[in-house]
Amino acid sequence: MDEALEKLLKNPGFGRAGLWRGQSRASDWQGLPSGYPGLDRHLPGGGWPQHALTEILLEHYGAGELKLLMPALARLSRPDDEHDREAAGWLAWIAPPFQPYPPALVQWGIDLARVLVVHAREPNEVLWAAEQALSSGNCAAVLLWPDMLSNAASRRLQLAAEKGRSWAIAFRPLSALSQSSAAALRIRLSANHQGMELNILKNRGGRPAVVRNVIRDYAG
Amino acid sequence: MSSSEKTSAVLQGASPTPPALKHRSAARQPVQQSLALSSPDQLPADVREPLPAEITVPPSRTLVRASIKEHLWLCIYLPALPLEALTDRKPGTARAVVEDVQGIRRILLANDKAFAAGIRADLSVNAALSLLPDLNLEVRNPQQEERALKSLASWAEQFTSFVSIEAPSVLLLEVAGSLRLFAGMQTLWQRIVSGFGQQGFTANLALAPTPLASIWLAKSGREVCIDDHAHLNGHLSALPLHCLGWPVSVTESLCSMGITSVGDCLRLPREGFARRFGAESLLQLDRALGRLPDPRVSYRSVARFCALHDLEEEQSDRELLLHACRELLLKLERFLLVRQMQVQRVQFRFFHLRVEATDLVLGSVQAGRSVAQWFELLSIKLERTTLPEPVIAIRLRGGPGQLLSIATDNLLFNTSVKPRDASIARLVERLNARMGDACVRGVTTVAEHRPQYAWRSDGLSGDAPRCAAMPGFWNERQVPALLQEIRQTNNLLLRRPLWMLANARPLASEQGHPFYQGRLTVVDGPERLESGWWDDDGIARDYFVALTAKGVYLWIYQDRSKNAAWYLHGFFG
Repeated sequence: MDEALEKLLKNPGFGRAGLWRGQSRASDWQGLPSGYPGLDRHLPGGGWPQHALTEILLEHYGAGELKLLMPALARLSRPDDEHDREAAGWLAWIAPPFQPYPPALVQWGIDLARVLVVHAREPNEVLWAAEQALSSGNCAAVLLWPDMLSNAASRRLQLAAEKGRSWAIAFRPLSALSQSSAAALRIRLSANHQGMELNILKNRGGRPAVVRNVIRDYAG
Repeated sequence: MSSSEKTSAVLQGASPTPPALKHRSAARQPVQQSLALSSPDQLPADVREPLPAEITVPPSRTLVRASIKEHLWLCIYLPALPLEALTDRKPGTARAVVEDVQGIRRILLANDKAFAAGIRADLSVNAALSLLPDLNLEVRNPQQEERALKSLASWAEQFTSFVSIEAPSVLLLEVAGSLRLFAGMQTLWQRIVSGFGQQGFTANLALAPTPLASIWLAKSGREVCIDDHAHLNGHLSALPLHCLGWPVSVTESLCSMGITSVGDCLRLPREGFARRFGAESLLQLDRALGRLPDPRVSYRSVARFCALHDLEEEQSDRELLLHACRELLLKLERFLLVRQMQVQRVQFRFFHLRVEATDLVLGSVQAGRSVAQWFELLSIKLERTTLPEPVIAIRLRGGPGQLLSIATDNLLFNTSVKPRDASIARLVERLNARMGDACVRGVTTVAEHRPQYAWRSDGLSGDAPRCAAMPGFWNERQVPALLQEIRQTNNLLLRRPLWMLANARPLASEQGHPFYQGRLTVVDGPERLESGWWDDDGIARDYFVALTAKGVYLWIYQDRSKNAAWYLHGFFG
């Protein structure tokens, strides 16, 4: 059945008619490898969507959300090419709920000389700072912990990320599940004593999926 | 008079300011025609003719080649300074400055309109008012004149490093070294005259090899350019005595003897002249002719910028305030540009009528001077500030200046290299401007065993080393990959949590077992840390990695010094 369908779709007539197949744009962008092959398999482009907004929803902070991002962030802060140091982007942490611990960041391979921590006093400053950081074009990734993120705000972040060619990652509570969002990728992260479960809720250019046990170790 | 080669050294121009700006002063009298010249052909005919309105400067090749060793003094004489230093409140009206002379108020200077109505210097106020009842009279303000002169001196510093203020109304510029840079005397002359004109000042210029000669020539109204000592004598000889600024008693007694010009004085015997008219007069003549040195004091303008903008009425409209601030910033930029400096912080002060002034301090990571940079920060900050009252005046102060340093950019052969680092400073500035200073921090590790001291947070402002990678924790760059692998496989890495709590949180415990959202399962540990006995914050702790029922990994410790209490110190995140 699948073979027959593929054959049919390869017919040049379909191409000319401009048939949209949902996944056709997946190959257009290069994903940022997450460092976890089990997750990469489900993400279009083989990794995190760069230059877009990613939302991670979780019950409480500290459940493994940073571990999930660390390999990709380390890659952004230290490009493989030694001579390409200039291209390394900044990692902005906007209103983190706790202090990101530098010794642990170093263990994960993050270049601390590229880390910015922004403390906000008012909720609406978080979004403003995030938008500024994203659209400045200096930040390779912007991590933010907003209290509230309306659909309109998420769209603004998405546009700012595209403009500044930056990766936005918003961490949100589970209560945001019912809200719509303009994010390119939404993942619900839940942990239990058996391990971590990633529920890909929205996946632009890909399909929703549930990924289990991508991360086994608790540190590094 | 066949003096074509000498006219080349003579500038026969008047200031290019429009006639309306020209003022008549008591000091400026028509050039006397009946001078007894020692050698008449030394004074070119053109000088005695009425001054043409348009500036014509002779070919200035010789001046471009002027040797640096020889000084050339450009004198800028401001004949109408008492009038021009006062702000003209109603343009187009007849104005005059009055001064108290022995208790009688007399006209010192009148503008063109008043002059046309017959107002002359030395007229008493009553007489002037009877001639022109709607004449605006203003009292002379020496402080204002001094301020104006200083600001003009600061402005003139762009042409030379040596500007001297000769009170009350003369600026001296030593320009021998500047001629090449400004492409000759002609352009320099024009730039100065037009610059003064734009600032609303009439200037009489004269150039001579000695400072005093240039002052005398400028005061006499002869706009000449003398670059050679040989021509000095001839030009000075023709000068009438009233231009020299000598005491009235000396001038009068000389005049009564029929001596009316400098040339006449020079023909008198030196000894007798000194005895009868004072050694000071002879000294001045010698200095003017370059026989004796004539040192001058160089004016040094203030190193920090400060300017006040008075608003005509109380103002609360942000757009208008921003516009006024922009004017101030433009001034700041010019100020810094001339000095090749930049500043790292500026302070705006908004004055109110009834309550205390509001201060806005703008700081920047990278020192700068461009209007755009500061204006952007200002508009962000002003948007967040509530002014308690309308504003009546704005003052801008620049911080201490730093010498301009321009980082050399890499030559980007590889276009794929994105110069990302270059403008992170601007992002930090913007964030700081709106969210308060020190809201943006960098982090770095510190070589320290106690977990709470193993890191540090640095502000990203100033020249502080930006996140200098401290040796301490294992830096992957320094550890060979093989060693890293051995450590990892043998579990020798010290596990540290990604999230740290600012203050450790006490945990409930039951029979010595810690609880956090249920009973905790210890996964790893203990890691014993005993350190810091040498200061007041010593620790004695056993650290464990624990797993909650919900699958969250915690970093907890048991304090061995305080009845074995349990604490939560971080999440592995």
